[in-house]
Amino acid sequence: MKTLDWHTIRVDDALPPLRIEVTATVIVAGAIATRDFMPVHHDRTYANTQGAPEIFMNIMTDNGYVSRFLTDWAGPDAMVKKIAIRLGVPAFAGSRLEYTGSVTGKSEGAGEGLVEVAFRASNDLGDHVSGTAVLGLPLARGGT
Amino acid sequence: MSSETTAADPLRLLRGAIGRPIGPPSVAPDPVNQPMIRHWAAALEDHNPIYTDAAAAVASRFGEIVAPPMMLQTWTMPTPTITGIGDRGGSPVATTRNPLAVLDEAGFVGTLATNSEVEVERYLCLGEMVTATTVLESVSDVKQTRAGRGHFVTWVTTWRDARDEIVGRQTFRMLKFKPYGGSTP
Repeated sequence: MKTLDWHTIRVDDALPPLRIEVTATVIVAGAIATRDFMPVHHDRTYANTQGAPEIFMNIMTDNGYVSRFLTDWAGPDAMVKKIAIRLGVPAFAGSRLEYTGSVTGKSEGAGEGLVEVAFRASNDLGDHVSGTAVLGLPLARGGT
Repeated sequence: MSSETTAADPLRLLRGAIGRPIGPPSVAPDPVNQPMIRHWAAALEDHNPIYTDAAAAVASRFGEIVAPPMMLQTWTMPTPTITGIGDRGGSPVATTRNPLAVLDEAGFVGTLATNSEVEVERYLCLGEMVTATTVLESVSDVKQTRAGRGHFVTWVTTWRDARDEIVGRQTFRMLKFKPYGGSTP
């Protein structure tokens, strides 16, 4: 994994898309790894009693996949400074999430190169999450 | 508009709590640690080497293994009591007092998370202990939404390290609403 050179990033650059097959295993693995034991994220019978047809992804896992989507692109020396999401339709077991995003701004601040990204993760019901993020990249050329 | 009248007093009650911490601070049950990070990285298939590869982490700008930034809330999640979790409405622990109960009692029984904004001051390192404090930030007037009429409620949770310095915060907004037809979507 290499970190992008901030100087070569351009506004409107597209991030490589990320596709997640949202199986029950993906949902349960994310919920327990984030220590979210709410039954709607692991127990379909319970989810049904709450009016949901299936278990669905929890918000901490949503934020985790967004940070992965960002750093898979920007590299290990990128620091996630901010992730702001609007929560839309649920991500139910058996669905597929497609993450897309692009660079919306660049600036320099506190010895770092900042990059703003707008992104969304959609499924067959619509936008599951959409929002904006800020990454900080080292400014020195020829870094790791 | 009898419903508006009955909702006014709970709203005043709830707004009286704005700016004050909701309950005592949540202290992480365990320090930031490699097993939980490895578990998280495997679950989300996040292969960023700074989370699990000591040599790569040392060579990075971070200089050592760091926790995934979006694990911030995970560190202070309460240790669950599995028995009875369904009977508690899905709450992992027995809750003492939910400040939003006044809205439920006024008929705003639906809950829909709408926004999350996580700001990261710095990444956490192995061995660090974090504490979270949650403050009620705002309660909107009644709004007409697609889900029904409801109030937007916003909290801010702030995480601090052992030196009491802020490491990150999350602004979280949810809609408490009166479901159409009396059922929660």
